[in-house]
Amino acid sequence: MSPYWGVDFFEFFAVFFKRLFSLEIVHLATDEIQMIVLSCIAISCALLGPFLVLKKMAMFANSLSHTILIGIVIAFLICSQGSMFDFTHLLIGALCAALFTALCTEGLVKYFRLTEDASVGLIFTFLFASGILLVTLCMRDVHLGVESVMGNADALVLSDVRTALYLVLINGGVIFLFYRHFQLSSFDRAFAQVLGLPGNVFHFLLLFLVAITCTGAFRAVGVLLVLAFLVGPYLTARLFCHRLPRILGWSCLIGMGAVLCGVALTRHILSMYDLPLSTGGMVVCMIGVIYFLGLGVKKAMGLCPKPHQRTKVLWTPND
Amino acid sequence: MSFLDFFIDPVFRAPMWGTLLMCVASSLIGTILFLQKKTLLAESLSHATYPGVVLGVALLGWFFPSQEKWAFAVVLLGALFSSYLGLKMIRFLQEKQKVSTDASLCFVLSLFFGIGVLGISGMQSILPSWNKQVQMLLFGQAATMTDLHILLYGILACCVVFFVWLMFHPLKAIVFDPDFSKSVKLPVPMLERILFWCLLVSLVLGMRSVGVVLMSGMVIAPAVAARQYTSSFSKMLWLSALFGACSGLLGNILSILGTSYLSRNGEMLTIPTGPMIILVGGCFAFYALAFAPERGLVFRKLRIRSFHRKCLEENCLKGFWKKGSLSYAGVQALLGISPFRAFFAVRRLVRKGWVIKEHKTYRLTPDGMHKAASIVRLHRLWELYLANMLKLETGKVHKTAEEMEHILTPEIEAKLTELLANPTRDPHEQPIPQRRGL
Repeated sequence: MSPYWGVDFFEFFAVFFKRLFSLEIVHLATDEIQMIVLSCIAISCALLGPFLVLKKMAMFANSLSHTILIGIVIAFLICSQGSMFDFTHLLIGALCAALFTALCTEGLVKYFRLTEDASVGLIFTFLFASGILLVTLCMRDVHLGVESVMGNADALVLSDVRTALYLVLINGGVIFLFYRHFQLSSFDRAFAQVLGLPGNVFHFLLLFLVAITCTGAFRAVGVLLVLAFLVGPYLTARLFCHRLPRILGWSCLIGMGAVLCGVALTRHILSMYDLPLSTGGMVVCMIGVIYFLGLGVKKAMGLCPKPHQRTKVLWTPND
Repeated sequence: MSFLDFFIDPVFRAPMWGTLLMCVASSLIGTILFLQKKTLLAESLSHATYPGVVLGVALLGWFFPSQEKWAFAVVLLGALFSSYLGLKMIRFLQEKQKVSTDASLCFVLSLFFGIGVLGISGMQSILPSWNKQVQMLLFGQAATMTDLHILLYGILACCVVFFVWLMFHPLKAIVFDPDFSKSVKLPVPMLERILFWCLLVSLVLGMRSVGVVLMSGMVIAPAVAARQYTSSFSKMLWLSALFGACSGLLGNILSILGTSYLSRNGEMLTIPTGPMIILVGGCFAFYALAFAPERGLVFRKLRIRSFHRKCLEENCLKGFWKKGSLSYAGVQALLGISPFRAFFAVRRLVRKGWVIKEHKTYRLTPDGMHKAASIVRLHRLWELYLANMLKLETGKVHKTAEEMEHILTPEIEAKLTELLANPTRDPHEQPIPQRRGL
């Protein structure tokens, strides 16, 4: 019996903190698993999102998150044992597919003289369609296709917590180690190259991180909702601050806040109205709500953004 | 069953005609978007239709539970409404909040889809029987369409086609030169508004056959394929409508055949139409990208390769002309190329009858002599032209002439001869070989 059975929105937090401080939380309940996994996804996404948006790669992330489906399916068909959501399958397949997508998209632009937006759209719809078809034909399952788009946070189990924690560690570690490099190459790629930074290496490192993050999020929220985790918290944080470290910090907090509210609200609606809702969908709605709340607060406080004001040189070679 | 039966058979005709009209409408609008480089807008807006669909079906199911056959009309209205909201929000983010285009597209896409997912999870428990109406719009299920649907969908699709046909010239102006169209007092904002409504309508129509998730592929693929074959706007519209229609029809037929193949053992397993249509359309696009005669990669590379070959052969001939006889190693050293290329270049010359083997070395045949002389003549004529007519320094003319000798045509040669009064000496005081027959 879940300790959260029948609680409402505020009681949820009361129960959660009580369990947290009395250390009962070592035996995770379903809601807590969802909360931890989704928070981990939110943090990993919030760490990557700002760099993606600054490099104008948000729609490319959309493409990557779609195409990992075919990688997963093919990896699963080759191994043809174990569960489809075994993380090693997911990871190898997804990384190959992500690399393939990136190379194809750039190849279409470079060799076939296609515009960038069209090549992104062409490649990912084609690969995603093949993925859906393969799922339908080989696994004889129509629901997997739907689930890959919508996600299913209720199916998360204890082992997902571990992978989600690894995800945060990897993302956090890489971003922490190479923060300067990422910052520089996303604001001014040409300057980074002048300084002798291998721009392509960091580009592919970012792609790699996006691919593993989308893979981690594949099961919980699906290929589309993860985009809101990537972009939403960053947009909200950017309303109030203009420095990258602060934006990163705030977007992590906003993402986690949205996850907490989302999980609690889903539980609240289940207890009060006996209506089970998709947790992933709820969290994404919360991200949207927080963004609009932020807009409202900013308007009310009369905080004007001063995008053209720059007081100090952000980075010097001696730094 | 023959191909025509798909269009007449009472079960199959509705999906066939429906898919045909939808695909034509979306590929026409897609062509315009493709030329404006805004194709990802379609991706975002097609996902933004989803909450409206859920809301529409939920409202209908709640208030008029017996009117299931009208679900499709409500779906259309709801989808139009929410994708319009999505468009407004993208505009708001871009213009008022100064968010970059792709971030705002991405945010609207996932936010709206998230609301849709939330809605459908609620519907699953409240109105389980209506759930299917919404689920099938994810990847499209054309087979469920009836003649009644075709009436509405067909009229709307025809409206889109009619608009493009009627407004062909203004649209052309807007696509290629917005500033010009403003200056000739075209109602640009109004036309763009209608264009966006057409986009929304064609996306909403496509939901039924291609599905929400893959709709943007149907917008992009036919336009990409059409662009490879032509550079004229009107031809491109025709071609992309053709490609769109073909991929719609083929995808639909493949999905019907696949479904009947999979269900032969009594299992109920349907192949959604959307992925099939997108796969066929994508194949058209990739084929065109690779094999279109003018712009396709393969023929472009072949043309470049054959030109490089020709240059190499001509340089080789020139080498023989200057040195008399050469071995492979001699050719290789003279032109600074790999032994492999030198070997094949000489072999090609032998096969063409321009070069003949003699005591382990090669020398020119009389035919080869004429050919080489004409190349040297072009080279020296061009040098003389640069030095005499354009007053370039004599020391600097050789390099350009090295390139021009491969490009000059007989007509240009005749003109040069006439202009320079059939000269006999080039600027370096070398003799200019005379043309055969002169």
